[in-house]
Amino acid sequence: MDGKTVAVCGTNGKTTTNNLLAALLRAQGMRVICNEIGSNMIAGVITAYLECCTRTGRVEADIACLEVDEAFGVHVLPHIEPDIVIVTNLFRDQLDRYGEIDITRELLVRALKKVPGAMLVLNGDDPLCASLCRTPPRVRTFFGVSEEVPVPTGGESISDESDAVQTEAREGRFCVFCHHELQYRYYHYSQLGDYFCEGCNFRRPTLDFAAREVRLDPHLAFSMNDLPVQTAYRGFYNVYNVLAALTVATLLEINLDDIDAVLASYAPQIGRMEEFVIDGMPAVLNLSKNPTGFNQTIAAMRADTRQKNVVVVVNDNDQDGTDISWIWDVDFEQMAEADAGFARFVASGIRAEDVALRMKYAEITPDTVLFEKDVRRVIEVLLRGEGEVTGKSGASRGEVLYVLVNYTPLFETQRVLLDLQAAGSAARADATPRRRRA
Amino acid sequence: MNIRIAHLYPDLLNLYGDRGNITCLQKRCSWRGIEATVHEYRLGDELPLDETDILFLGGGSDREQCIVSEHLQGHRDAIQSYVESDGVLVAVCGGYQLLGHSYQQAGETIAGLSIIDSYTIAGERRLIGNVVMRCQHQQLVSAPSSATSVVGFENHAGRTYLGPAHTPLGVVTQGYGNNGEDGGEGVLYRNVIGTYLHGPLFPKNPLLADFVIRSALQRKYSSSIALSPLDDSVEHRAHDYLTRCRLARCQ
Repeated sequence: MDGKTVAVCGTNGKTTTNNLLAALLRAQGMRVICNEIGSNMIAGVITAYLECCTRTGRVEADIACLEVDEAFGVHVLPHIEPDIVIVTNLFRDQLDRYGEIDITRELLVRALKKVPGAMLVLNGDDPLCASLCRTPPRVRTFFGVSEEVPVPTGGESISDESDAVQTEAREGRFCVFCHHELQYRYYHYSQLGDYFCEGCNFRRPTLDFAAREVRLDPHLAFSMNDLPVQTAYRGFYNVYNVLAALTVATLLEINLDDIDAVLASYAPQIGRMEEFVIDGMPAVLNLSKNPTGFNQTIAAMRADTRQKNVVVVVNDNDQDGTDISWIWDVDFEQMAEADAGFARFVASGIRAEDVALRMKYAEITPDTVLFEKDVRRVIEVLLRGEGEVTGKSGASRGEVLYVLVNYTPLFETQRVLLDLQAAGSAARADATPRRRRA
Repeated sequence: MNIRIAHLYPDLLNLYGDRGNITCLQKRCSWRGIEATVHEYRLGDELPLDETDILFLGGGSDREQCIVSEHLQGHRDAIQSYVESDGVLVAVCGGYQLLGHSYQQAGETIAGLSIIDSYTIAGERRLIGNVVMRCQHQQLVSAPSSATSVVGFENHAGRTYLGPAHTPLGVVTQGYGNNGEDGGEGVLYRNVIGTYLHGPLFPKNPLLADFVIRSALQRKYSSSIALSPLDDSVEHRAHDYLTRCRLARCQ
């Protein structure tokens, strides 16, 4: 292939960033190789190439956008020889596979050393991420949010959440280079913010692409170096995904005049705040697979003023990480507060027992917690209000259903929701004439 | 009644949801009308052990464990006399390694606190997975010569070897334990629990949580304490998932 190759690494936001970038490039008429569904280990990357391959083995594409699992970067990056590597962030994730966050970072350092020619595009707000620019020193571009995000009126705020964040496990509190505790001029979430180290000269780098005037209500909007950006997303964390994609698009000298159209029409990926309507009840599916992502989801749910039912599905298959201890770092307590607007909870998935236990110790009212390992059944019971789960009526008092899943339940759960949505539409179509007669 | 829980360096040693253990102790006290306050201590803080009823030392990454081990040396003698007077100490993962004579990191041997007669060397492969162990300690089981199970998850590169004076907390029936060789997991010495099982150890093992609470109260109030029973059905369901289903699935 003659075109450039972009690799996207990082704990959270790889898929959203990569697919948005691919959408921006396709809007320019480019032929893009992209592992769109997040198959980011070696097989998934090879498959993405094969899909754009002629019978004679020629890859017919202008550019490749590939998300690459950070721990497998050592193996994947030297083969794809990226021109640009984006690192979105480094959070605690799937610990049993990688060991510890320092090990993840070390793996990424080793991977980046193998591609010294690649330009780095780094989240400057993340000290763990920004520190990668010295591995070895090279051309790099930083993106980030260059202001303290103010409290949006009438909704949940990032600042409001910072109380909870204090108890949240924060990675990289300490300087990677000299081990002093980092100080913050302001702070977004997890370890992201405007940090500096008093022990050495490490500090948040000058942001080449900075977001300002961030607004969250009703959808995320901001300006990037004076370019107004309006998205169709919810959730503050998406500012980084959009910024990363726009940063690279700019570096690739893509015309950004039409980004509004792309951003507006760009459908979120499977399970990224994906919306459904089932029998008139709105449902939202969101991938929440580590404490930082999960806590951001809770913040987004709390900002939703409707009465909410929440299904938490946790599996412990290899791809999920067999260690589910991370659920104890999630602020379930934030959902226990009486005024937070949560009606019912369901513990589900292979490790439903542990989810229910976590809910118990968060002091979520036991009467509101249902236990059901089978996702299909639980969603049917909750939405249709028919049948019982663990001896309790499933009748829903909520106005919206949130389904939070980690990785392996994602596809099955989406299928269940799509099936129910289709069945609901069919039933409504049948029912319409009867209603008319009445 | 009230107890004070001292959580050491929660900003540094907090891997794998150690917070769940603190929450669990606190809730199981408050559900019984026992007031439990948690006090967090950071680098440079005084450590008032004479006012402490439960001392908790969690796990951290290598870098952070290294910072802690230097600072803890200054509290070494105080912690030893606390332990020898039956003070309750819970040490998980990295914290457990710190209790011994030494541990290894990046080829270097680093001095521990020598509170437990143990040492830890670096292994090549990380020992990772669910753990089920049998415990026969008199303090933990209801009747003599009976046994109970403790479940959790381990993830460690260190191999810990106990001196002859100590017995492990339990013997693994699934998983690796202290070193993957002798079958022992953790240590139980006086009122010290050291273990590689991280994260929600206490929530899934209420028996262990209540042993810790009871021991702390007995020491503080110098009397035999019977804790009022709680409805532990949710806890047992999570515990039993690992002892039953998990065994079938993993083998």
